[in-house]
Amino acid sequence: MSRIIVITSGKGGVGKTTTTANIGSALARSGKSVAVIDADFGLRNLDLLLGLENRVVYTAIDVINGECRLEQALVKDKRQPRLVLLPAAQSRGKESITREQMKEIVTRLSAKFDYVIIDSPAGIEMGFQNAIAPASEALIVTTPEVAAVRDADRVIGLLEANSINNIKLIVNRVKPEMIKADEMMSVDDILEILAIPLIGIIPDNQKVILSSNRGEPLVLDEKLSTPGVTLKNIARRLNGEDVPFVDLMASQENFLNRLRRWFTEPSR
Amino acid sequence: MNQNGDTAQESPVSLQRNQQEVLLTFPPPPSEETIDDWGELWQNLKHRLNGSERFWESGAFVCIQARDRLFDSSKLSAIAQALAEVGLTLHCVETTRRQTAVAAATAGYSVRQPSPTTPLTRSSPTQQFKQQEPLYLKNTIRSGTEVRHEGTIILVGDVNPGGAVMAYGDIIIWGRLRGLAHAGLKGDRACRILSLQLQATQLRIADVVARTPSTHPAQLQPEIAYIAADGIRITQGLDFLKTYHFVSEKQFWQERSF
Ligand SMILES: Nc1ncnc2c1ncn2[C@@H]1O[C@H](COP(=O)(O)OP(=O)(O)OP(=O)(O)O)[C@@H](O)[C@H]1O
Ligand SMILES: [Mg+2]
Repeated sequence: MSRIIVITSGKGGVGKTTTTANIGSALARSGKSVAVIDADFGLRNLDLLLGLENRVVYTAIDVINGECRLEQALVKDKRQPRLVLLPAAQSRGKESITREQMKEIVTRLSAKFDYVIIDSPAGIEMGFQNAIAPASEALIVTTPEVAAVRDADRVIGLLEANSINNIKLIVNRVKPEMIKADEMMSVDDILEILAIPLIGIIPDNQKVILSSNRGEPLVLDEKLSTPGVTLKNIARRLNGEDVPFVDLMASQENFLNRLRRWFTEPSR
Repeated sequence: MNQNGDTAQESPVSLQRNQQEVLLTFPPPPSEETIDDWGELWQNLKHRLNGSERFWESGAFVCIQARDRLFDSSKLSAIAQALAEVGLTLHCVETTRRQTAVAAATAGYSVRQPSPTTPLTRSSPTQQFKQQEPLYLKNTIRSGTEVRHEGTIILVGDVNPGGAVMAYGDIIIWGRLRGLAHAGLKGDRACRILSLQLQATQLRIADVVARTPSTHPAQLQPEIAYIAADGIRITQGLDFLKTYHFVSEKQFWQERSF
């Protein structure tokens, strides 16, 4: 049985595409077959982050319009033989795809891949609705900012209304020094509001920006960086492995107490 | 929203018991035909079905009061499916709209068509009673969700920032209140808001609005918000009823003089 996971956030620019590219690559490297879908029609960039821009020939829209077969539109990753990308159309014809069409494409992919991962656009409009329609699981990406958490909360409510109840949380761009100085929400603060299980904490790190510019996902580095490890760990947890959380605050001993609760996975 | 708390917007989906069946009442459709509020309506419906106390036996019959809303067969089947998930059986559709009646009949549901001029008496018990029975909810009211009830609301769970709870009666929250709460929505100034942790962004009781301070005491305990002589006040919940009483001539709560 294939797992169909949507990566979504409500607020824009919090790291959905970054996580999709990395989790997809990490899962593929661990031996799973993975299809990542760019559902951000009009603003596609999953191909960029995977370094596949120059290989895109057809898009999901061409498949829907019958201009090519689904297999033709799938772009094979240059490093991971088990990873494929279904690109989004660059044109702004957002209305040109329906929930039903999205579901149909994903159903066809799910017959062939262990994981189908959908990179959702920001917002809660049509594009978001299309992206979540086929999903049975969701990863919510948020940053430790009040507005991002508020939007994440809204999206969780919408997912639940669409009977997607397997929802896990990724907190991205965490800055330990700011949390220490009480200038940023802690992961605990966020969990208290959102009340869903945590699956990853990713530090704010320039390497993330560098890797997206190069189109080289961090999880494929020879020597993994801290953000690379935390991203890879998300993939491992998705696979059912019990991986302890990296202690991002290791240098701030007195804050260990605050962290302790993350080490024991929330029970839900 | 005006001072009395009346909103132009209608109360969302309501679920009530009737003698032999469960009544699922939808708000009237938006005045402009072009506005599609189905997404919002659907979220509301799921929220109400999953969050409310199950006062029905499994398999209980439901009558939808669709008013003059347009429900086609796919919407009716989505509603029936959502009802089935919580052990309810769609059985009848009451509507003033011909297309909805046709869709319902085609799908095999019994159809009631009250004439549009006679009010849907059973759907508006406020004509006979001041308030409905309390609404008992067990879930988190997340950002963007608004719960409205023509009676008291009892919530076991949190109200998150951006969420709202509006009640004709009292609001009792066994959890954290961090969103908006409005008790006494129809003007009853004796209504109160009770919460384990009162950190609301804004509190409203009847026609009075209070913003809560941006800093909160570190040690939060159950508190109660009520209308005092000088506006909304918050006090420890524990001894409230022993020490305060509502003075109806003055329309506010006052400390008892022993
Ligand atoms: N942990 C991080 N540390 C530093 N920069 C980050 C981190 N995560 C993401 N970024 C940067 O933030 C920007 C937005 O990331 P990304 O495109 O993944 O977000 P998104 O949620 O997909 O955005 P959109 O809503 O526009 O689709 C990128 O420039 C990315 O490199
Ligand atoms: Mg993106």
